[in-house]
Amino acid sequence: MSGDRPSTVPTAAGDSGGQSSEPVDRGVGVRDRVLVLPSVICSRAVADRIADRVPGAVSAPHDHGCGQIAADAAQTRRAFLGIGTNPNVAGTVVVGLGCESIQSDDVAAALAERDVPVREVAIQDAGGTDACVEAGVEAAEDLRAADPPADPDLSDLTVGIVSGDLTDSTRGVADPLVGAFVDDLVDAGGRAVVAGSERVAAHPDAAAESAASEEVADSLRAVADRQRDRPARATRVSAAADEVDFTVATRAWGSGPLGDVLDYGERATEPGVSVVDAPSRFAEAATGLVAAGAQVVVHVTGEGVPTGHPVAPVLKVSADRETLAAVGDDIDVDATAATVDDLTEAVAAVAGGRPTRAQDHGLTSTAITRVGPSM
Amino acid sequence: MDTFSGYRRPDGRVGVRNYVAVLPVSVSASPVASAVADDAGAWARATPHQMGTSQPEAGRERTRTVLAGIGRNPNVGAALVVALGTEDLDSEALADDIAASGKPVETLSVREAGGTRAARERGVDRLDALYDEIRDQPREDADASELVFAVECGGSDATSGIAANPAVGAAADALVEAGGAVCLSETPEFIGAEHVLAERCVDEETRERLLDRVDRREQLADLMGTDLRGAQPSPGNQAGGLTTIEEKSLGAVAKAGTTPVREVVDYGEAIPVGGGLTVMDSPGYDVESVVGKVAGGAQVAAFTTGRGSTTGNPIAPVIKVTGNPRTAERMASNMDVDVSGVLTGESIPAAGERVAATLLSVADGARTAAENRRLEEFAINERQPVELAEEP
Amino acid sequence: MKGETVGEAVLVMADDDTVATALEDLEGGREIPTDPPLTVAETIEFGHKVALVDHEAGETVRKYGEPIGEATDPIERGEWVHTHNCESARGRGDRAGADAGDGLSEADQT
Repeated sequence: MSGDRPSTVPTAAGDSGGQSSEPVDRGVGVRDRVLVLPSVICSRAVADRIADRVPGAVSAPHDHGCGQIAADAAQTRRAFLGIGTNPNVAGTVVVGLGCESIQSDDVAAALAERDVPVREVAIQDAGGTDACVEAGVEAAEDLRAADPPADPDLSDLTVGIVSGDLTDSTRGVADPLVGAFVDDLVDAGGRAVVAGSERVAAHPDAAAESAASEEVADSLRAVADRQRDRPARATRVSAAADEVDFTVATRAWGSGPLGDVLDYGERATEPGVSVVDAPSRFAEAATGLVAAGAQVVVHVTGEGVPTGHPVAPVLKVSADRETLAAVGDDIDVDATAATVDDLTEAVAAVAGGRPTRAQDHGLTSTAITRVGPSM
Repeated sequence: MDTFSGYRRPDGRVGVRNYVAVLPVSVSASPVASAVADDAGAWARATPHQMGTSQPEAGRERTRTVLAGIGRNPNVGAALVVALGTEDLDSEALADDIAASGKPVETLSVREAGGTRAARERGVDRLDALYDEIRDQPREDADASELVFAVECGGSDATSGIAANPAVGAAADALVEAGGAVCLSETPEFIGAEHVLAERCVDEETRERLLDRVDRREQLADLMGTDLRGAQPSPGNQAGGLTTIEEKSLGAVAKAGTTPVREVVDYGEAIPVGGGLTVMDSPGYDVESVVGKVAGGAQVAAFTTGRGSTTGNPIAPVIKVTGNPRTAERMASNMDVDVSGVLTGESIPAAGERVAATLLSVADGARTAAENRRLEEFAINERQPVELAEEP
Repeated sequence: MKGETVGEAVLVMADDDTVATALEDLEGGREIPTDPPLTVAETIEFGHKVALVDHEAGETVRKYGEPIGEATDPIERGEWVHTHNCESARGRGDRAGADAGDGLSEADQT
């Protein structure tokens, strides 16, 4: 095919995806996986097939990467970079088609600048899907990790927190349990990244008051502004958040001040609790939390959403008795019976290598939050 | 263009494949749906997507419309609707809607089954039972006029408008002449060429709808505060010589042929069978666009590509047509029809005949390259909050 | 196909087009037997466009007998015409956003 590779979609002037591509201290991984990351839906099948062939590799298939512009394209690109930078990732093979809006070689170059071991393959470069799978397998085998995962302390951990609903049992039992864990985590020197920005949008003043600084307060208000006059993505949670106060709506975030606000896809750099601008939709939120650097995700689910995430182990916590009875096999922690110490022990065990229920059944999603329509 | 043989469904429509569709109603149910389809067999086709368990009403309605349309597509002989069990979208009602077309439909709730593992087992059992009801259905003769032919372009380059799209357009004309239906979508790819289509609309109402849809799509760029470049044309389009959306569009509309535009339908809405050329409003984003037309009832798609798109669809065979000789050679294993000869003298009518012949043989059961590789991309065009905020 | 091939080198889709499409990679210096003959000014890849006439900045570029964009700079006959010197007149949300409130905050621009 003639010509150089096309250049990635232009976003706003000067945009590099919202965060500079410089070497980062990625922290300690609790899993050690080669990530096969499709840059577009068109290459997701190839990414899956590559990951299937290489032991220890996982793929992160999604529905996006083309037909996107401006803030929407920038956010998806940020999410790619964030996922690829997560410390659980030993290295990343970026798989593209070749003609898409968010170009695979551009994503790979940005990851390389962050010192992430990376390779890139593309279907059109390789000469078809079959050839691309072979090239991708070779690339993934190149990256296969040597170091076994470390056994981290709480102080090494960034834990992602997403509470998927505001049902009675969640509000009354599960969120407070997780919030108490977050407090202990932060006391021990660990970090929490939390999702559910529709709760900030429901109570912008109270959110601003919980901020650790004026700057963070402004960022929280900006998050709320962006959602004003628009239907929320997590419709039920948003409606429920309107009915309770901010403290109740965000119990799972702990009792401490909110130390930072992260764009979706952005990596956490501050200690304490950082709010990720992600909706309370588990699959999308988990990706945002993983991109923020979470090695483990704690998911409060009254509904019993069983899905995991390819990059980080997800601990399911529920206090809903019907859910525990119906789908107990999919839940890690029964919040009606667990203490904070139990939850802490569970997180530590998972960080140390114990599989979660979601890892047992193996079903995962990699959804990405969109902020604009497909073109 | 004459006859083919296909599967006649209770509602009278004819399918070119005989699948059990596995339809998750949310992102939370999608991995289970994919897993049970994989476990059950190649005849089980899942349509995983990323729509939330709870969406704004307009978004939920869009999800429902698409899934109902897929379930009703005549390539689907039976369907299993899969839910977590807590979604806002009523999976029983969706199942009833699909069942109203006369085909067997069951539901599967992860919650009712007792969790993921149990749901997988129960799901396979239900799929096996559904397939038993349709597996022995024979193909029977059907008229070409019973085909709804989706036309799509992706990974376009300069050859698309010169060779592949006109060739597909010739086949489209032949099908319309035989009494069939053709569906063109990708509304942003009318921008700059909409007057070409507008002139061919059968009446004022249709013309106004068409221009309204183009206008709305163009305004989506305004909403995002930037121009369309990077999405329309894409980086690959530009590398392949397409400079502007106008240039891309003038080449793109050729794939719909030359017949009058009889109807303009919205994303996922039913395409009139035997209704000539219909335009469906959709984004240009390929996978979402093809899904919209399949939800509208298209049994087969022709997808032109210059740069080499490789995508397919779980429910409808997608025929890849390329007019780029380099792509035809390098990516032969992912292409179905090579019309690059048009650049060096093959006539468009002759190339169009080859596309038409492929259409009929694929309808009869010949597998496309994407089918052979089980390339079955699926995504639903989600109505975003920023769009919904603009609506009254 | 529609359009006319000239010298097996370029394809002119319609009579009043101001650009032609390269049917193979064209080297700078290549002579195309248009009327009058045209010298390709620079490398123009397969599928890309060569200017058949001079364009002033702002002038309409035509292909398929229709406008496909505007020259952003003066373009001389024989030059490569593409995104560096030709831009779309449609889908220009960047123009619309400048005066109309687009509903997006500063933060959304990153």
